[in-house]
Amino acid sequence: MRITSSLAFALGAVLLGSTAARAHEIGTTRVSALLKDGRYAVEVVTDAAALAEKLDAVSDRARPRPFGDVYVGRVHVMFDGVETIPSVDRVLSQSADGATRVATIRLTGALPTGAKTFSWKYGWTFASYALTVRRDLSDNSETQWLEGGDTSAPFNLSAPTRTATDRLRTAWRYFALGFTHIVPYGFDHVLFVLGIFLLGSRPRTVLWQVSAFTVAHSITLGLSLYGFVTAPPAIVEPLIALSIAYVAIENVFLSELRSWRVALVFAFGLLHGMGFAGALKELGLRRADFLAALLTFNLGVEAGQLAVLGTAFTLVAWPCRRRDWYRRLVVVPASVLIACTALYWTVERLR
Amino acid sequence: MIFHARVIAATTIAALVLGAAPLRAHDMWIEPTTFSPSTGDIVGLKLRVGQDLLGDPLPADPALINQFVFEDGTGRRPVVARNGADPAGLLRVASPGLIVVGYRSNPSRVDMSAEKFNQYLKEEGLDAIAALRSRRKETGAPARDLFARCAKSLVLSGTPSEAQGDRVLGFTLELLAERNPYATPAGRDMPFRLTYERQPLAGALVVAINKSNPAEKLTARTDADGRVRLRLNRAGVWLVKAVHVVPAPEGANADWASYWASLTFELKG
Repeated sequence: MRITSSLAFALGAVLLGSTAARAHEIGTTRVSALLKDGRYAVEVVTDAAALAEKLDAVSDRARPRPFGDVYVGRVHVMFDGVETIPSVDRVLSQSADGATRVATIRLTGALPTGAKTFSWKYGWTFASYALTVRRDLSDNSETQWLEGGDTSAPFNLSAPTRTATDRLRTAWRYFALGFTHIVPYGFDHVLFVLGIFLLGSRPRTVLWQVSAFTVAHSITLGLSLYGFVTAPPAIVEPLIALSIAYVAIENVFLSELRSWRVALVFAFGLLHGMGFAGALKELGLRRADFLAALLTFNLGVEAGQLAVLGTAFTLVAWPCRRRDWYRRLVVVPASVLIACTALYWTVERLR
Repeated sequence: MIFHARVIAATTIAALVLGAAPLRAHDMWIEPTTFSPSTGDIVGLKLRVGQDLLGDPLPADPALINQFVFEDGTGRRPVVARNGADPAGLLRVASPGLIVVGYRSNPSRVDMSAEKFNQYLKEEGLDAIAALRSRRKETGAPARDLFARCAKSLVLSGTPSEAQGDRVLGFTLELLAERNPYATPAGRDMPFRLTYERQPLAGALVVAINKSNPAEKLTARTDADGRVRLRLNRAGVWLVKAVHVVPAPEGANADWASYWASLTFELKG
């Protein structure tokens, strides 16, 4: 069944482990459940021919029974471990490539009052399959891979209660992620910050630019995360590289801070913010975590920038900034090197 | 994603439900789109996992495939595997004759509770392993099993003859039809040989299931030469199968290694 092919296989391989000794026999059946507004809807997508064979094997030709009556005996929808009888509806369609007929069976019903957990068992599948559950209170789905005929572990119907320790752990995780997004993984951002740093040796020069950059990238990071602005990485990433090159090239011709430079750094900061958001989005954030993640990730990014600036200031600017050769032997060659690297990245990211 | 706080509740509920349900270890077999192709035809090779010849499609998974081959009068060639697709593979019938198709999987690990593993040993007639566990006082212990599939299928293009025969593919556990089933009418004894690491395997349970009446299972244990004779009393598609379990090799991070041999073919009336 092509509909399930490459993506399902990639997902299955990742979730189940792709090494030979851990590979599982992944079939073509997929089950998804939506538990929302006091109702449940479980959708089983399976190979229509295989289902027809199973139906045929259990049917009595002399006394045919409706599909729903037969099927309902093969599925187990349980709340708090107690089975409930769903309504059954079946739709047959062609797979995306038209090669296979696909049966989609919808099982629906009311959530029992006060139910806390949902669990599932499908007695009519033999290969491994994915069960995906979505809840009312969360955008995020939870997936369990089940061996055919196994009962799932229970899914909580309410969003899990989060303790102060959980929140602190989450905050720390995103702070660390923000920091490592600069050091050591964000070499491009490091070069941008160094480009800012190399313009002038006076702390005021660096402070103005870093503030503009920070405010700007915080704005777009937040807006992107909430979906107010979007820009494809194919455009943002080459522009980020180009912004690094620009700042570095300007360092060669400019030795004092000008107001347009602050404005440009602000504009570039807007770009970098979208880049940061891309990294954060890839993690599949829970909506409930957005604000905390945004703040702590941003704090981590600032800490990473400060670490770069602090190191550069201590090792380079502090001992050398008053020397007459500082600009000639440090600022210009380092800026040229940064500019060349960034131009190379620009071309590479455009491919 | 499992919330750890609920693991105990999950285990309890799962154990209750599993305890009440009959457990059947799942067979795996090859189901060609036709058992009687013409020369020049493309035959789809569907992999099926299930029981009683009722199966779910198993798309080709490169992580699982160890060998997916076919052998005809001109030699052995790889099946064209279609990753993620069902049928999992394709072959082209180049000339008339008997074609032997083989699929051998890499091992997959499955962890089973003591109860589940004991029941599986019983259902598959693996009495020697059950006795070994009993001697080791492990009957109450869970088991980690590395299972590997050794599936074959016989497809005939053209006219059958006694001269045509199944071929040894060299699978770890292998069922070999010692007479061409396409030249054997229903109701006659069909001889099979079971080998483990190319040596005859004695005392193993061999089961034959016909697609039109899967509830009726023909069974026999192999003799000292690994041979059984089964009177295949019906025409139609047959699955002949056997399972062999051995202690897992050192360092395999498992307790047992199981091999699942199957052979499918169609018997004419």
